[in-house]
Order: sequence, then structure tokens, then C-alpha cells
Amino acid sequence: MSMIPGVVAINTFREAVRDRVLYNLIFFALMMIGAAILVGQISIGIERMVIVNLGLSAISAIGIIMAIFIGVGLVYKEMEKRTLYSLLSKPIRRWEFLVGKFGGLLLTLVVNTSLMTLGLGAALYFVSGKFERTDATILVAVYFILLELALVTALALFFSCFTSPMLSTLYTLGIYVAGVFAPGIQGVSQFTQNWALRAITRFIYYVLPNFHDFGVIAAAAHGDRVPLALIWHNTLYAALYVALILAGASAVFSGRNLK
Amino acid sequence: MSRRSHNKSHIRAILLALVAVPVLFVMCAALQVRIDAETRSMNQGNEELLVRSGWLLKNLSLGYEPLLADIYWTRVVQYYGARARKPGATYESLWPLLDITTTLDPKLMIAYRFGAVFLSERPPVGPGRADLAVDLVKRGIAENPDEWRLYQDLGFLYSIRLKDYQKASDAYLEGSKNPHAQIWMKVMAARVAESGNALETSRLIWMEVYANTKDELIRRRAAQQIRALDAALGLKKLNESSEDYWRKFGSFPTSMQELRDAGLVGGALQDPEGYPYVMGPNGVPQLNPKSPIVLDPDQGPNKLR
Repeated sequence: MSMIPGVVAINTFREAVRDRVLYNLIFFALMMIGAAILVGQISIGIERMVIVNLGLSAISAIGIIMAIFIGVGLVYKEMEKRTLYSLLSKPIRRWEFLVGKFGGLLLTLVVNTSLMTLGLGAALYFVSGKFERTDATILVAVYFILLELALVTALALFFSCFTSPMLSTLYTLGIYVAGVFAPGIQGVSQFTQNWALRAITRFIYYVLPNFHDFGVIAAAAHGDRVPLALIWHNTLYAALYVALILAGASAVFSGRNLK
Repeated sequence: MSRRSHNKSHIRAILLALVAVPVLFVMCAALQVRIDAETRSMNQGNEELLVRSGWLLKNLSLGYEPLLADIYWTRVVQYYGARARKPGATYESLWPLLDITTTLDPKLMIAYRFGAVFLSERPPVGPGRADLAVDLVKRGIAENPDEWRLYQDLGFLYSIRLKDYQKASDAYLEGSKNPHAQIWMKVMAARVAESGNALETSRLIWMEVYANTKDELIRRRAAQQIRALDAALGLKKLNESSEDYWRKFGSFPTSMQELRDAGLVGGALQDPEGYPYVMGPNGVPQLNPKSPIVLDPDQGPNKLR
């Protein structure tokens, strides 16, 4: 098996660290410290819930921002700086380069998210003084956020293969927002009497990446169990969808004239 | 990489994408069906509406309140549609959703009109909150004084749901003063004041609801009610024939055939859904148990005598 994607991934990760991407952790840490101190004063009885909601929402929002804004520049930046040309003159296939880039950003996000999760755990311990068995759902929620980030990264990378960072950001964000509102689209298909609209909305519902199903923050805050089948199916769904987008990205990128 | 090998790898990538992308899409869709089933069971009973204040949402909407109102309106329809007629369905969030929608866009007429019908429906069709429906419609009138149809809704609520025929008549009369109001608003005001409790009056009110709405859900509900009222009117006529039979023969008929043989009824003795009426105990006609028609509790056979 080729080692090239791994090498590209490690270099992408290093570059992200050099670009001080992980500085966002300071913001997250300050927010969690502030919330942990404040929450005891203002939200009687639901301190734990507020910390979980706030922490997971911040992990998700920061991750999405990073995935989009770094993802859209992954290929474009290499072309702009002309570093891509020297890279592709070596025996590197274009799909290997793309997969490596994707892996590198995902690795950055995994490290970032893991560190934020540790921060959330610390704030939670500070507020409630102990961990409970139901807190395991928080880890499931973090895992789902990572799956979501993998999808967003793949989308951003796909668009960065053929358009400018500005447009890539718009497209990725648009698909993300539409994916979050997927149940609304499905709702239209269920209640409309118009068969054409029903067919179109059903098609859109199944074609769009469904980001709504990754949202278990409320379940984590309430300590509700997430079914194992859902964890497994969401994992498979994200993997298939990422493969789909990367296959599309490879096809588009391989056809680009880089002269 | 040479140009030739690049072309070759490009063709390979295109072919791979042409095969892999559709296959993966189909797999994702199939998986989505299974995920939907899992999340449906997870979300049951988890219908929290976190922000219930329309005022707060209006201030947080940064000037996009009409758009937000449209989104909330969509939620109203989906929320109600997902529950309508489901056994054990509750409608706790219907009022807050309508409240938020109309606070965000006080001119959204459809929300008031929808609320008038469905907020006041008795379980299992609605939450049975005619009081809140009246509040909603009154708020609509305050925000849209030129909309005579809201007076029609107010009249409907007072007569059909609250059985306050004087207030209903007043509402119809007030609405009829609007220069754009239909002439039948005046007729309705007189009719409700005169014989508000009559089935014929209820039917007339529902007929106007049916004729004056573009909302498919309201239309369907009005059509159901008209069929139920037609069935109740049919039962009422049969009951009169049954009493005539008693006066003639000294006993109540035990079947519809006896009524027919006595020459007291004729034609097809069936409800608007095509199910034949049946004779109940003491000669009280009833709906066929198989009939999908659901009568209002105060129009059923027990109210005939």
C-alpha cells in the first residue's frame, strides 16, 4: 500500500500546527473556564447540562469553522504558491495527494477536538465534582462531531479542487446548513400533495449529506443513551459519504490542467 | 508525470467516479432509511421547544423575522401533520409554535386561520384549546383590522366550538361591516343568532370555511366535518321516521327494512361515505360501525332522543 497519502497527511498536519491553527484552543479553554465559574452562579440545578451543551456546541462550531476555512484552501493554496507543481512532478498520484490532504486536516481536527474534549471534561469535573456513567454519551457526541467534521472537510476539499476559496466556503456552508435542515426537507416531502415536489424533495433529502443525524448534543446533556446501531450506521454513512466525495474530487482534480 | 500517463490516470479516475459515486449514493440512501428508523424512535417524546418566546426570537432574528416566521410556519404544519389523528398524540407545542409564528410575522394570515381550526379541535384531532384559538384570532384582528375573514374565524370559534351564539353573531356582524366582506357574513350573523345550535347552521359555517380557505389541511378537515354533519342530518331524519313508526305501530322498528316496508323512508339509506345506516336499540338509527365518519359527541345517536 502506498505511503504517500500518510506522508502528505503528516505534512498537512505540521503545516496547520505551524499556522497556529491550534491557538483556538486558548479561546475554548478561556470560554470553558469562564462558563464553569459563571454557570454555578446563574443556572441552579442545570449546571452540568449547561456545561455539556455549551462545550459540545463550541467543539462543533469551532470544528466546522476550521474544517471549512482550512479545507477550502487545501488545494487552492498549493496551486497559488505553486508548491503543487513540484509535488506532482514527483511520482505522486493526484488522488493520493487529495486523500493525504484530507487525512492531514482530519488529523488536525481530531487533535483539536480531543484537546477540547479534555477541556470539557475538566470543566464538567469542576462543576459536578465527579463523572457519571451517562457521561459516556458525551464521548459519543464528540465522536459524531468528528464524523460531521470529516464530511465537512471532504466537501470543502471537493470544492477547493475547482473553485476559489470564497465560493468553496459558500458552497460548503450552504450544503452544511441544508444538511442540518434535512428533516425539514423530508417533512415537505411527507406533507405535500404535489407529487413532483414530493419526488424532488425526497431526492434532495437522500442526496444531501444528513448532518442532522449527527446531532446528539441534547441526548448527551440529558444523559440519554445513544443506540449502538445508530453509532455504527452513522459511522458507515460518514465513511461512505466521504469516499463518495473524495471519488468525485479525485475525478475533478485529475482532469485539471495545472499548467 | 508524462502527459500520456496523466491522461490515462485521468480517464481511470473519471471511470472510477462514474461507477463509485452512484453506487455510494445508493448505499448512503439505503443507510439513511435505517438511520431514520433509529432516530425516529430516539426522538419520540423529545419534542422540546427550547425558545418559547416570540418576542425574544424576534429580537434575536436580526431583521430576518419574516424568514424565521416562514420557517416556524413550516414547523407548525409539520408538527400538526405528524400528529393528526395518531392515537395518544398530544399537541403541547402547537400553541407556542403558532404564537411564535404570528409574533414574528403578525400579517401571516394563514397562521391565524389554521390556529382557529386546529387549536380548537378536540383530542385526538387537536389540543381542544378554543380559548387560545380565540386569543390568537383576536390578536390577528388587532394586527389586521381589514381582514374580514378573521371575523369569520372568530364567529366560527364562538358558534361551533364554544356554543356562544350571541358572541358568534356579533363577530359575523362586525366582520360584515368591512366593505370587502362577503354578503353571507350578514346572513350568518342572523342565522347564528336565530338557530345557532342547528345542524344546518353548523353545516353552513363549515361550508364557508371550506369555500374560503386555500390551506389543504383546513379544507380536508372542513370536508370531513361537512360529511359528518350530513351523516348527523341523515340520522336525524331517520330518527324522525322511527318516531313516526312508533306513533303508527306502537313499537320502534328493529331494522331499516321495517321502516322501508312501512313506507316511511325511501332511497339509499347510507351515510356520505356510502355505508348503510343501521338500526340501534329502541329504534335509534346509528352509523354503520365500519363507517370512517366520526360524529361530534353532541351530534351522536344519544343526542337524538
